[in-house]
Amino acid sequence: MAKLILSTGNIVSGGPSIVRKPGASNLELINSLKVSFQDAQLDYADEIENLNVDVNGTTTTTTTNGTNNGVHEATNGDSSNSSNPEPVAGPLYWTAQDQTKNTIYVPRIDWETAGLLEERSQYDITVKIFFLPTTTPDVSRRAAYTSEALSLVQKELGGISDVDLLVVSFPGMSFDGDCEWEADKRNASQGDDEAEIATWQAAVEEALYAQGRVKRLGISEFGTEKLARFIKRVQVPPAVDQINIKNCCNVPPPLAKLAKEQNVELLVHSDCTDILPEGTLRELLGPQGAGLLADPKATSSEGLSGNLTPQWVIKYTAVVRNRGVIENKGYFAGAELN
Amino acid sequence: MGLLALGTALDWPDAKQQAHLVRAWGIKQLLEIWNKAKGKERDAMLWGDEIEYLVVNYSKDDSKVLLSLRQADILKALADSKTLKVTGDCAPGTEANGDAGNVTLPVFHPEFGRFMLEATPGKPWGIDFKDLLTVEADMKLRRCIAKDHMLPNEHPITLTTFPRIGSPGGFTEPSYPVSGPKLRSQFVPDEIANPHIRFPTLAANIRSRRGRKVQVNVPVFRDENTPWPWKDPTVNYDLHNWPEDDDVRNGAAPDNFIHMDAMAFGMGSCCLQITFQAKNITEGRKMYDQLSPLGPILLALTAATPVYKGFLADTDVRWNQISRAVDDRTPEEMGEKPLKNDRWRIPKSRYASNSTYISTDSRLRPEYMDPNLVIDPEIKQQLLDGGMDDRLATHFAHLFIRDPIVIFNEDLQELDLTKTDHFENIQSTNWQHMRFKPPPADNSIGWRVEFRPMEIQITDFENAAFSVFIVLITRAILSFDLNFYIPIVKVDENMETAHARNANLEKKFWFRKNPFPVRTTRRGGSGSRSASGASTPSGGPSRPATPPLGPVEDEYRLMSVNEVINGTAYAKATSKEVTEDAEEGEEFPGLIPLVESYLDSVNMDVATRCGLARYLDLIRKRASGELWTAAKWIREFIAKHPEYKKDSVVSEEVTKDLVGAVIAIGEREKRGLGIDDLIGQVPHLEKLFGTFLKGKSPCGGAGQAALEQELKDDDTKVNGVKRKFEGEE
Repeated sequence: MAKLILSTGNIVSGGPSIVRKPGASNLELINSLKVSFQDAQLDYADEIENLNVDVNGTTTTTTTNGTNNGVHEATNGDSSNSSNPEPVAGPLYWTAQDQTKNTIYVPRIDWETAGLLEERSQYDITVKIFFLPTTTPDVSRRAAYTSEALSLVQKELGGISDVDLLVVSFPGMSFDGDCEWEADKRNASQGDDEAEIATWQAAVEEALYAQGRVKRLGISEFGTEKLARFIKRVQVPPAVDQINIKNCCNVPPPLAKLAKEQNVELLVHSDCTDILPEGTLRELLGPQGAGLLADPKATSSEGLSGNLTPQWVIKYTAVVRNRGVIENKGYFAGAELN
Repeated sequence: MGLLALGTALDWPDAKQQAHLVRAWGIKQLLEIWNKAKGKERDAMLWGDEIEYLVVNYSKDDSKVLLSLRQADILKALADSKTLKVTGDCAPGTEANGDAGNVTLPVFHPEFGRFMLEATPGKPWGIDFKDLLTVEADMKLRRCIAKDHMLPNEHPITLTTFPRIGSPGGFTEPSYPVSGPKLRSQFVPDEIANPHIRFPTLAANIRSRRGRKVQVNVPVFRDENTPWPWKDPTVNYDLHNWPEDDDVRNGAAPDNFIHMDAMAFGMGSCCLQITFQAKNITEGRKMYDQLSPLGPILLALTAATPVYKGFLADTDVRWNQISRAVDDRTPEEMGEKPLKNDRWRIPKSRYASNSTYISTDSRLRPEYMDPNLVIDPEIKQQLLDGGMDDRLATHFAHLFIRDPIVIFNEDLQELDLTKTDHFENIQSTNWQHMRFKPPPADNSIGWRVEFRPMEIQITDFENAAFSVFIVLITRAILSFDLNFYIPIVKVDENMETAHARNANLEKKFWFRKNPFPVRTTRRGGSGSRSASGASTPSGGPSRPATPPLGPVEDEYRLMSVNEVINGTAYAKATSKEVTEDAEEGEEFPGLIPLVESYLDSVNMDVATRCGLARYLDLIRKRASGELWTAAKWIREFIAKHPEYKKDSVVSEEVTKDLVGAVIAIGEREKRGLGIDDLIGQVPHLEKLFGTFLKGKSPCGGAGQAALEQELKDDDTKVNGVKRKFEGEE
């Protein structure tokens, strides 16, 4: 098994991928991942030559979990035990591998350029974690995902110790349609209350909030009934509920009332819940996409093979507080390759 | 308008003698403040709007509507009430005082026209998104307070110009004879100007420097029964009071043009201006440049000025009329005579579109600059010697080719470097469509940028919508590091294009095809990961562009306002008048989608987002033609009026009914009521506002019930107004 960490880098000045399309969608994530892969392939292209023959003149091929996945690594004796991701040789030169953690960074991340330009207090930093429907709602795994995802964001933003708001998006939820009563009613039976509450307690309240890594908590796409049930059972109630209001502005009055009573801010968003479906990810990384995955039909193609399962996505945004300027925005995503 | 210090204003020949001194001292003051403030950092994003009103005297019993010249008395009343009273009508229905007792009262200012009033918010706005929604309520409060300090028949209205200003038969209350010594206009009396010595002197010295009266000629709109060629029937060729009366005998009033001859015709127009504080000088310079190409687009989109001096004009906006109304250039400077006494030819009036870009952005290519820019090389050298960089020195050396117009003798005793009066004298009489403003002498606030092209709109809803839109687009520009550069001469060209009738629907404007930053490579060292151009440390150039640059001409193409505002895809689906010629891969994303992308990336509560969506909707629909501009509505209102004879003449009666309708809309809006009862009575109102000013807020949610209750409480008032209006129809 190998773990993939996908990243977009800062997308605010990254061109058209930021342009909004009407309705809830994952276009921003998908397009910016695409651009991120292409950019890395261009940027590191001149390293192919250098990496095939590394400083020690040795090129090694490793096998992971007994599967020959075709990843060539450039390693030398001194660094093979460190956990610093190393550039990968061969066609996956634009990625990096952390051998000890068995993690492949797609693309490589240049942490040296990470960080915020001003001190932490100048920013309002929001992250949103998406648990994807492709994985089982296993609480301990979700806790691990959340912690790992948040760590990546903290590192990406220059080693910040906390974020201002963490919003949790659970699979199977939507506030679809016309923000009317029906959507709100439908919402009541969506998702999985038990798993959501357990996740909140273990992965959010205890693992992050109690540790001071997150100042405020939020959830996404909770209608009136779900929100009421949720608040009753959790220790730290959400301060924020994100709903997708499309182009209409009819918040169901019971939800507005409940939110007011419970001091839950109703914020808008336009993300879809299933933000990174398996098929989409496979296409992104496949032979027609970034070429990370081997072509299953070809007999001797280079690239990784195995079952690909997206597990989580985290979105982060750093806004300069008193100027309303978005300085940094991007995504990380985690997937498993078996 | 700037500070109104009192003193002895020099007449032109004397002022001219002192021009050089004022410039020299002005530059010293500029360098002083520049050195003090160039390192200023992290100023908050604050902004302010300015609303200008005409004050009209209107009563349904009077046969005509007149401009009230009681500005001084009204301002006195507004200043007298120590705490301006927010009572009666102004208290309920305006949300500004949601925090009861916490209302910052607006500030009222004099303007050039004695029939005008300007109001600004009591304190600047911040970027808290909820703040953006209090702007409209505050504008309503301003209007309401202003009205409360006027006579019962006086009303503050936000038409850009009074349709019959300068028409024979009197248009002011009280009435004065024309052809006074200061303006020497055959159409308007001297008393039309604010009596503060600054204003008549400004008008007189412009005329004097110019060597003749200003010539404000607007093409007349040719309707079915308009005689052709059309000779302005109001021009008096037999006046012999002043030497300038010869102007019309020497061809100042050509056929087919409405002829006007005084500063009041231009500076008597109402505008909607927005000023931003930047975080530092670098960001200010960037905002100045990036907002500049948006100027003509917003001018066309806010078009509201189709009538002058009682005639329908063939243009829709005020801009060139103001430009000509304050054009102090001599015949030599204008190129009509060989240069002998003057220093240079000057292609534009001091009121005109920008001629410079000033940012340190590396994306600013030399090709974008005006090749024929006139500067004062000595002044530029002084600024360079003082440590200013070439680009900014060029900008100010361009502004300083002008003479100061109004000089007070008292200010010439000695140079005071703790003030900026001499610098401001030149700076604030360069009325370009953007203004780059250094901090005041005490350095208490930051570098600011003023966006000046927009026309005032009839309602505060619209004025708030356009103000907020400009605020949001600046946030999108800074966040996404957008690039709207086109050659500055193309911006000039666009400004002219914006004047055409229905330019917002029927004309095309030069605009940059790709507004996105060029990607930088990781290997380039600067890194694309964290360096949003918005946050480039001060002084340094922005990110380097890696790929080689193609010809500048390939960077821009013609677009409709719809395409610029809504994007290519939307425009293709909605444009009726023009076809979009975006080629594959040249689709423009649209300013509104960019703003929405920005809004999607920040935390925003539902109510705020809905409120902002309403503003963006208005702009979207105005740009697509689904809704009309005020200019179009005024034209159609006039066309439909039974008294209009299709001869381009806008009579007293038509004017009265137009102003009456505008007052009726304003009265309802001020009270937080809908205009539903006016639909069907006032022609084409639904084309101007769609469903926007319906009594019910389109945004439901928590506020709905309260709003409905409010409407119910206000029922009695509605009926009162309704009866009044119905009585007239």
